[in-house]
Amino acid sequence: MMDTYANPWAYRAQWAYLLIIVGALMAPVFYTIYISFNEHGFGAQIYDFTWDWYVVLFRNQQIIDSLSWTAYLGAATILTAVPMGLIAAKYYKRTRHKVVFVTLMLSPLFVPADILGSALLVYFKNLNRAFEWLGDSLGVTWFYGWFELGFFTALVGLILWTVPYAFVVILITMSRYRVQQTEAARSCGATAWQAFWQIEFPQIRVGVFSASAFVFILSFNEYTRTSLLKGGFDTFTTVLISHMFNTGMSGDSYAMGGLVSVISMAVIGAVLVYTLAKAERLEREARAKAEPVAA
Amino acid sequence: MTAETSPAIEPPAGRGRDIAAKPRWRRFLTGEDGIQKVVFYIPLVFMTLFFALPVALTLVWSVFERTRFWMEPGFTLFAYETFFTSARAENFLHAMMHSAGAVVISFVLGFPIAVFVRRRVPEIAQHRVILLFILPFMISELIRIFALRPVLSRHGLLNSFLMDIGVISEPISAILFTPLGVVIGEVLSFLPFMVFSGFLAMEAVQKYVFEVCDDLGAGTVSTFKDIIVPLAAPGIFAGSVFIFVNGLGVGLIPNILGGPGATNAGSIVFESIVALDFPLAMAVSAIMIVTLMALLYIGHRLFDLTRILEPIS
Amino acid sequence: MSQNADNAVEVIDLSKNYGPVAALKEVSFSIESGKYFVLLGPSGGGKTTLLRLIGGFIKPSAGTVLLHGRDVTDLAPNERPTSMVFQSYALFPHMSVAKNVGYGLKLRRMRKAELDERVEEMLAMVGLEGYGARMPHELSGGQQQRVQLARSLVLQSDVLLLDEPLAALDAKLRKDMCLELKRIQEKVGITFIHVTHNQEEAMTVADRIAIVAGGELVEQGAPRDVYERPVRRFTADFIGENNLFDGRVTKTGGNAATVDLDFATVQALNGNGLAAGQAVALSIRSELLGLLTPADAENGGLQTIPAEYLEEVYLGLTTSHLVRLPNGQEIMVRTLSNGEAAATFEPGQTVTVGWKTEAARLHPD
Repeated sequence: MMDTYANPWAYRAQWAYLLIIVGALMAPVFYTIYISFNEHGFGAQIYDFTWDWYVVLFRNQQIIDSLSWTAYLGAATILTAVPMGLIAAKYYKRTRHKVVFVTLMLSPLFVPADILGSALLVYFKNLNRAFEWLGDSLGVTWFYGWFELGFFTALVGLILWTVPYAFVVILITMSRYRVQQTEAARSCGATAWQAFWQIEFPQIRVGVFSASAFVFILSFNEYTRTSLLKGGFDTFTTVLISHMFNTGMSGDSYAMGGLVSVISMAVIGAVLVYTLAKAERLEREARAKAEPVAA
Repeated sequence: MTAETSPAIEPPAGRGRDIAAKPRWRRFLTGEDGIQKVVFYIPLVFMTLFFALPVALTLVWSVFERTRFWMEPGFTLFAYETFFTSARAENFLHAMMHSAGAVVISFVLGFPIAVFVRRRVPEIAQHRVILLFILPFMISELIRIFALRPVLSRHGLLNSFLMDIGVISEPISAILFTPLGVVIGEVLSFLPFMVFSGFLAMEAVQKYVFEVCDDLGAGTVSTFKDIIVPLAAPGIFAGSVFIFVNGLGVGLIPNILGGPGATNAGSIVFESIVALDFPLAMAVSAIMIVTLMALLYIGHRLFDLTRILEPIS
Repeated sequence: MSQNADNAVEVIDLSKNYGPVAALKEVSFSIESGKYFVLLGPSGGGKTTLLRLIGGFIKPSAGTVLLHGRDVTDLAPNERPTSMVFQSYALFPHMSVAKNVGYGLKLRRMRKAELDERVEEMLAMVGLEGYGARMPHELSGGQQQRVQLARSLVLQSDVLLLDEPLAALDAKLRKDMCLELKRIQEKVGITFIHVTHNQEEAMTVADRIAIVAGGELVEQGAPRDVYERPVRRFTADFIGENNLFDGRVTKTGGNAATVDLDFATVQALNGNGLAAGQAVALSIRSELLGLLTPADAENGGLQTIPAEYLEEVYLGLTTSHLVRLPNGQEIMVRTLSNGEAAATFEPGQTVTVGWKTEAARLHPD
């Protein structure tokens, strides 16, 4: 920051540039929301505000059904991916093979959706056949159809997609936690479980909450993996895309896009505000710790 | 440790006396070495079973024989032959070029932001500024790509904006459904990742490094070339690989923004699955995964990618 | 396996390996109940590893830990009758001071009224009456350590482990806290095991000191013994301000031994068990050396070596004189600073360094 004052305009220009980029990234989303409230839809010369497209949306039973499937999947993903991210972060802290483990945990971020989705699809189909064959040779059938495409397989796809985020977010919060506190709790007589719940968890709760929010948004927004692995049912995004390809872009598809964006932004916004407020408090405490009050 | 030694002397008052007397099976259920330890391996097992294994098996499935609705074990390079001798290979090459273009544009547009935030923004505010980029990143690529359609189309936001400020007098119709639209879609989708990974790598650079540079009177260009880029190389590389591979692999982008016949690896795979040509889908997947692994391996050998993770470990 | 219930801690052949690195190599010792025991040594020497093994925070690769005669090797920290005070950051930041101190009691489901009383009592003992409602970040570093101490003591464990408890404090505060730790230990009467790399701290608090370095227990004894009569060369080098000379025994007779230092031949008195021709190290604390006037030197009764005077370093209470021996080795002679310097030396001047024969100690290792 040393030459901030020497050249305030360069500094301001850099800030302006940063905000323009954020704006450009967000513009399409806001534009979609804007269009979704126009009675005449996209490309019309006149703009008349209306809620109608959203009303149409919520009268459509298929969309209501898809929304509830989306919600179930989202809830199931939170309940599985977040604990898994937490356990993975704990494991990462204690394992000596950190590089291998972190590579395994973060790689799903790098494998594009279509590729991972297809690989999983073929994997599940093969597992099904293998299980059927196994069942026929053993004469037992209770594991038939474990990996039949459906809720569970879609969930696996979503866990793979969201667990890296949950892992990283929780790991970042955990890096502020001092492991001596767990040891101190143990030395006070706490079991490993008590030390985790009573001492560590309250301090990483923010990370776990943010991770849950991120996981929810990511699962809510995911299309490719889900559409490959879902089997029979439809989620909001798969309806949106099939709608778009089949009937073209109409007013209600903008409303659907608008709905997804608004919900996502609301959840992220809430998380950001919450974590920032929390970070503020932590910083104040850290400052106080750095300069202890006179004895 | 022999069995008769422990109880020989009555231990003095103190906690734990009774705990030590717990039978073995109770210790297995409640002690750290018992079942609790198994829990820690769940992510490892899950990721191996549902990620590493399927991804590795694409190589095997890609040489299976295609049947009418499925495939059967065998060894044939037919799928690869189909891929390399059809128009798909050419489309794939074009997609690679577009994706590489998106990488360059993202670097040029996005990386300076990471540098700026690290150098000029007060330390406590840095993370908040970076969080600004979380918002577009978290709204799915699907919605952002979908949303680009009205923006880029003939009557869309971009054209009306350009006409309003007088840059053009006639709307440009050659954006949407062209390679340009695809590249724009990729940049808008993945640019935040360049900012994140660039910033993460820059975090390892202590602020005094910049002060020393300024102190020594190093110019902007030489500071950038000699100090910033080498230090942030792992982050730049990780970001570039991410954008390149996803630009190549996210089938939605050419599907929605590209013209007729626009494809990339992702859409080829998706279409092959729909066409029940599983070996072909697996062959293209395998090519992508091998490419990804090779890039990450090369990057790791060159720049030690684990450096990016230092701030969190 | 020896067992003695009077020993609060007994460690038998304890080893800890991290992969190929041996952090601790078959260490055995015991600590008498009610003693203030200090593990002193350079960083990375294994003393903290040893303490953590006793507390159960890490598992030994081999060996046994007995607490009051009971084998606890396989028990977790919460199952052992020990509690631990950490160097720093160990208070629970989301709990008040009183909650911190009462945490262990709460785990034992003590009734609230009794718990509050015990916490208040313990806070009073460590000098923090009325601080119960404060949060940890509102306390100074010294106060935080006092809270930790109270949190451990309130449990009335048999053994209190202290891992560099004063290392994060400034020098003045550390001195005060040392005396206070000693006072508290005498009051509660339980066994304290205190890890430190600071000699002065160790000397202040310890009933017994064990020197730990290179993964081994080098030597142990009362502070005075370790300081004045170190057995091992390492101890002599590490404790106090000793000058070490390498030489070879030329003659032995009873306790006495004659040692050839190349540039001089001197006598020493703890030559038991040495044989002529054996390589030894000879150590003399710098405060037992003197710079002799020609008259002193001729008086006899002293061991002397010639040296070249280099420089004087004034340290307040004492003054150190740096001199160079004929073989090029530089050694330190320390004298009490007395107002007017008795004799001043010029750099480059030839001087004689001397000491009483009993001041030198031989270390065969």
